[in-house]
Amino acid sequence: MDIRKILFVTKFEELWFDAVESLLDLRQASLDHVVFLNVIEREKVALRRGKGYQKTEEVRLREMANIRFINWAESLFERGFEVGAYIVVGSLAKQVVIAVEKEEIDLIVVGHEKKGRIEQLYKSSDILEIIRRSRKPVLVYKYTPENTIAVKKPFERPLLATCFSATSQNAIGYLKRMQPVIKKVTIVHVADPKALKETSAMDVQKTRKKIRRKLDDLCDLLIAEGIDATPGIYVGSPSKEIVTAAKESNATMIIAGTSSNSSIKEKLVGSTSSFLAEKTLFPTLLIPPAT
Amino acid sequence: MNKKVLVVDDDPDVRLFNVTVVEENGFIPIEASNGEEGLKLLKEEKPDLVILDVLMPRQSGIRLYRELKTDKSLKNIHVILLSGIAKKTFLRSQKALTEFGGESVPEPEIYLEKPVEPEELSAAINQYIG
Repeated sequence: MDIRKILFVTKFEELWFDAVESLLDLRQASLDHVVFLNVIEREKVALRRGKGYQKTEEVRLREMANIRFINWAESLFERGFEVGAYIVVGSLAKQVVIAVEKEEIDLIVVGHEKKGRIEQLYKSSDILEIIRRSRKPVLVYKYTPENTIAVKKPFERPLLATCFSATSQNAIGYLKRMQPVIKKVTIVHVADPKALKETSAMDVQKTRKKIRRKLDDLCDLLIAEGIDATPGIYVGSPSKEIVTAAKESNATMIIAGTSSNSSIKEKLVGSTSSFLAEKTLFPTLLIPPAT
Repeated sequence: MNKKVLVVDDDPDVRLFNVTVVEENGFIPIEASNGEEGLKLLKEEKPDLVILDVLMPRQSGIRLYRELKTDKSLKNIHVILLSGIAKKTFLRSQKALTEFGGESVPEPEIYLEKPVEPEELSAAINQYIG
């Protein structure tokens, strides 16, 4: 569960080098190798009516990416990091999966490109596709047009949203390994209002106490590793309440598990992890179920 | 017997260029597309010279160069660094790795920045194994 090698996926327009810089603190937790990936979308070089495959355009785009990667690599090499780079033509999610396997990546970092509602409804988002297909944690960086500066130390005060599943335990494992870069963790559970529909106040309090005890147990696991951890219980819609908790605890990042929901189901019923990845401004680390 | 030159570069076009120059000079080229593959071939083939790129998948030329220069059976193999990464960066990175507890390695004998002319590469190759 060490994060030794990260795959940094960039289209340049939305994920800049400041995001890489913000992750270099992970060196204290074992980060040693950064692999850059730029995927040139097929539509940019092929499938143009009457033009065939545009080799010249491919060369131009490759060289533009190469120049950028050389600059980034020089900066990391000089600090003793190992660096690699891929510039490939194809579909983003597929190329990410290929690079993850080739390089034995521990963490995927992607930037979120905001898309309109209609486009999202008909075309599966690249980010969600990566999250669905990946067996490795995915850290999603968010950018708004006004704010393109990445959080300086995303791992400093993470908020872990837990539903007490095996994936949450998996997340605790990751956090333990990041001890040198973490100052404080807030572990939050969002209770379903239906679960609190008890007949008496005492019963409701009992439910709360039970949840609190479980959160305390998770906090104790981190405290035993020298990480300051605080529990928090919220009630309501998980997506909304997790963001509220993140704001209230001044979190630098949200960490959550992903489910194995299918794409169609996710589109129909919504999913907390896809909401966190796409709609919030917090960097979001999504951890897949243990295999 | 003809001498062997190992060409390590992830870019197939650059590999083709280097291989052609090696062949034109009467040597036998061996190809690898990343540092890991390069190290494997170094051990198996024991070439007389390596033409090494720096920024590559799996393992960079920086790490491969360290492995080569700290291995008793490989350290006498000549190396030509051929990269888009500046020589200054290469030297600083080796210094940083030494400071992190690694063994000190000698500076590369020849460091060429991409792109090179065929004559320039030919001259560098022949300086060692011609």
